[in-house]
This record gives sequence, C-alpha cells and structure tokens, in this order.
Amino acid sequence: MKPQEVGIRVYVAALILLVYLPIVVMIVLSFNTSGRISFPMEGFTTKWYNGIPTGYEYASYISAFYDWKFWIAFQNTVYVATAGAIMTMIIVTTVAMALRHRVVGRDPLFYLILLGFVLPGVALGLGNNMLFRIMNWEFAWWTAAMLDTVYAVPFGLILMMARFDPDLVLYERAASVLKASPLSVFRKVTLPLIRWEVVSAGIFGFVLAWGELIRTSFVMRGTGVISTYIATELAINPITPKWYAVGAIVTGISIVALIILGWVLSRGQR
Amino acid sequence: MTAQPSGKTGSPFRIGRYYSYMLLVPGLVISAIFLVLPLAIMTVVSFYTTAPSSTGFLPIFTVENYFDFFTSPQTGTLLLNTFSLAFIASIICFAFGFPLAYFLTFHIKSRTLKNYVITLLIVPFLIDWSIRTVAWIPILGKGGIVNFALMSLGLIKGPLEVLLFSRNTLYLIWLQTYVVFMEFPIYLAMNRIDPDLINAARVLKAPPRRVLYDIVFKLSLPGIMAGFIFVFVSTLGDFITPNLWAGGVQTLGLSISRYSNNFLWPYASVLSTMLLVIAIIIMYIAFKVVNIKKLFYE
Repeated sequence: MKPQEVGIRVYVAALILLVYLPIVVMIVLSFNTSGRISFPMEGFTTKWYNGIPTGYEYASYISAFYDWKFWIAFQNTVYVATAGAIMTMIIVTTVAMALRHRVVGRDPLFYLILLGFVLPGVALGLGNNMLFRIMNWEFAWWTAAMLDTVYAVPFGLILMMARFDPDLVLYERAASVLKASPLSVFRKVTLPLIRWEVVSAGIFGFVLAWGELIRTSFVMRGTGVISTYIATELAINPITPKWYAVGAIVTGISIVALIILGWVLSRGQR
Repeated sequence: MTAQPSGKTGSPFRIGRYYSYMLLVPGLVISAIFLVLPLAIMTVVSFYTTAPSSTGFLPIFTVENYFDFFTSPQTGTLLLNTFSLAFIASIICFAFGFPLAYFLTFHIKSRTLKNYVITLLIVPFLIDWSIRTVAWIPILGKGGIVNFALMSLGLIKGPLEVLLFSRNTLYLIWLQTYVVFMEFPIYLAMNRIDPDLINAARVLKAPPRRVLYDIVFKLSLPGIMAGFIFVFVSTLGDFITPNLWAGGVQTLGLSISRYSNNFLWPYASVLSTMLLVIAIIIMYIAFKVVNIKKLFYE
C-alpha cells in the first residue's frame, strides 16, 4: 500500500471512530449503577432498562421499558417516519419524472423544491407553527410528517436524479413509440429500472423524519415523537443513564431495521 | 445536450409532456401548503404590530420591527456568530467529507462494501437528536474520559469546563451529525467522473496533486457545493445544539425560538425573514459560481 492510501484509510477510520465513540459510550454507560453519567463506571446493572418503577419517580428515574410516555412517542415516531417515507417516495418519484422533461418553469420549480431544504429549519418550523395556529389546525403526527416530507424531498430528489441511467429516456421513448400508454410505460419500463432509487428515497425520508427535532418541535404537542419527548424531558430533568438506555433501545431498533433494509437492497442490486 | 427529436417522434412526446405537468401536482400541493404559505405568513407577520392578543400580534402594518432589528446593538454580533459558526462548520465537514467520498468512490471496489459503509454513516442519524448530543457529556464533560485522561497524565489540575461548553464542542457535534450531508452529494458527483479520465491523466504522467485538483475536485464541484449548502443551512437553522453546548454564544436561531416561545411572533418573524433572505443571497452567489443543477439534469 502506498503511504497516501494508508493516510486516507487512517483518516476515514478516525472519522468513523469520532461518529461512533459517543454511541459506544452511551451504550456502555446505560448499564452504570450510578445515577450520574461519568467515568469510571460504578457497577453493572440493567435497572435503567427494566427496573420496576414505584410510581413516584420523575421521568429521569423511570426505567426505559416502563416509561409508557416514551413508548407512545416511539409509536408516533414510527407513524411519522413511515408516513414521511411514503410521501417522500411518491413526491420524489413524480417530481423527478416530470423534471426530466423540459416542462415550462423547470428551473423555478427545481428551486422551489430545493427551498424545502435550503430554508433554515427554525424558519420553516416557525412559519408552520403560525400557519397551524391561524388556520386552527390541530397539531398531530401528520403535521410533523408533512414538514418532514418537505424537508426530505430535496434529498431524495438529489439521490434519484443523480443516479438516473442516461439511457432511461431511450427505453421509455422506444416503449411510447410502440404505442404504450404513458402509464404502462411508467409501470412496465421506468419503475422496474428505478425501483432501487425509489426505495432509497423512501429510506432517506424515513431516516430524516425519524430523528428530526428542529422543525418538529414547532408542530408537535404533548408527548409527541421521540425527539421532542426527550428534548422536553431533558430540558427539565437531570440527565441519567435512563436516557442512555432509551438511546440504546432506539439505536438498536434502528440498526436492526437498517440491516434488514440494507440486506434487501444489496440483494436487489446483484 | 443532444438535439431534441423533431417532427416524427413529436406526438408521443407531447403526451408525455402533458403527463409531466400532472406528475408535478402532488409535489406542488405539498410545497404550496407547507412551504410557500408558511413563508408568506411569516413575511406578513414580520410587518405586524406586537400586541398582547391571543396570537401575539395585531394586523396593523408597521416597519418598527425591522427598524428595531437594524438599530439593535446586538444584531451585528448575532449575525456574525450565526454565520461564522455555520461557515466554519461547513468547512470542517468538507475537510472530512471530501476524503471520505474520495475513499468510497475510488478505494472501495465492492458495491456491497460501499453500501455497508454508507449504512454505517447513516446509523448515527437514527439515534435520537438530543441523546446523540448528550452522549458527548461522558466524553468531554467534567467527569468525562478526556478530562479523566488529562488529569491522570497530570497535564491539568482540575477538570476543564471549556471542553463541553464552547464553539469547538458545537463544531464537533455538527461534524458528527452533518458529515453525511457533505459526503453524500460529493460521493454522487464523484461517481459520475469517468475513471478513464483519471487513468489518462496518470498515463500522461500528471502528478497526483494535479489529478486530485484538476479532475476529481473540479468535476465534483456541484456535489461539493450541494454538500456545502446542506451543511451550512442545517447548522444555520439549528438552535437546539447551540442552546445546549455553545457556552452562551447567541445565534439568530436561538433568538427566534426564544421570541416564538414568548409569543413575540412579529420579532421572531423578522429574524426568520432576515435569516432566510441572507441564506438565499448566499445560495444565489453559490449557484452563480457553480452550476449545482449539473448534479440532477443538464
């Protein structure tokens, strides 16, 4: 190996270490006996996961499995992320299909879609908060899903459009010259060729919606999603290993989900 | 680009074009309701009078909010803080994201391995936002690993507070969070570089530095710009991380959230509008320099 190659490997490894160090520390410390979060650890316990609560604790001392508010938030997050993923998938696919053709106003449209990401999160959140109050719409999980969709669509679009096969248009043209209707061109030619791009746009929608906090914090009430629930609790409660246990659970479930998805995806690519 | 097909193939394509407009409907509806409308409301409210009503404002036109904003002695610091933080964070993310994208594109051959590395980088995104940031406490905090190590080595006497509450902490957390936003567009742009171009340059004895700069860097510029904008804007709009870890550094985002929590909507709207206007100006300049559309369509 050349020295540059070693250099870049070390660099990448350092970056991945940096990204993962807090996660490892979080998982390790979620088993700490002490209520304080610092090294060295005092002892090993699983009480932050499955300790049976007496019913008088503050949120920071209720074990993760028995924190029903967390599980409601978890459920909401699954709804939000799934809805966000489906919406992102539909919108990204339709917009990407349309933007390939020279539609009138393609550039302004492209910038409008991109605005969903370019707009600073705090501004989008504030604007939607005011919109919902003025219109008297209720804050619910679907409101968060809508905001996440606006946020994720530019991402998905980049993913999809940057990876389009240049010959895709030729196949479609061939099919339509042979008198296939636009719908069947899409169903039988286009979609099979871009399905992995569609799926990965959906994954990005899911991932972005799953952890979004800045925008969501403006349009969620009550227990909300995981991110808003934890942010609200941490603002008024001390940080205990319980939160690390919660983090470890969320991480664990998402890693399992990602592995399954990655497996499905890499099977499809072969 | 190639010439458009003329006459003969025109008719099936016209149908395709008609469908193109239909296809835009869902995207446009969502953008109109949840993007354009909120922005319009925000801009209008920024010209309204603050009043102790149920909504926090009265629909009476005034420019006083903007006057207050421009004459306030804090505004300069606020803007400088906000934009310098976002700018430096973007540079740091680039310094890590670019080599990472390069590594993924040119050093990993197996497609499966590429997918795994990308997945590995997405995982931290699935960890809860707040928990991802508080996970730094045991590392950088008073009783954290770094302070523990430094004290056992005898380098410092007492625990350092600045490790956790400073701009540097912010950059570290933002690097951890947003490096993917930088890496991914660059990776996509690099994937479009023809490997023969690099081989040709090498055969013709181009020094590695020239290959890296003239071919890899220049051809991935649209991706770099996209990544830069993604990180810049994300850090610009993030008020939660600075609130927790910036050690009292004030930013526009923080002020916006504070005003909106106190129902001072006109003020919050003024700040948001200014944030948006400045972000768009910067974006416009960036688009002028690099044609970001090259990433998507010609």
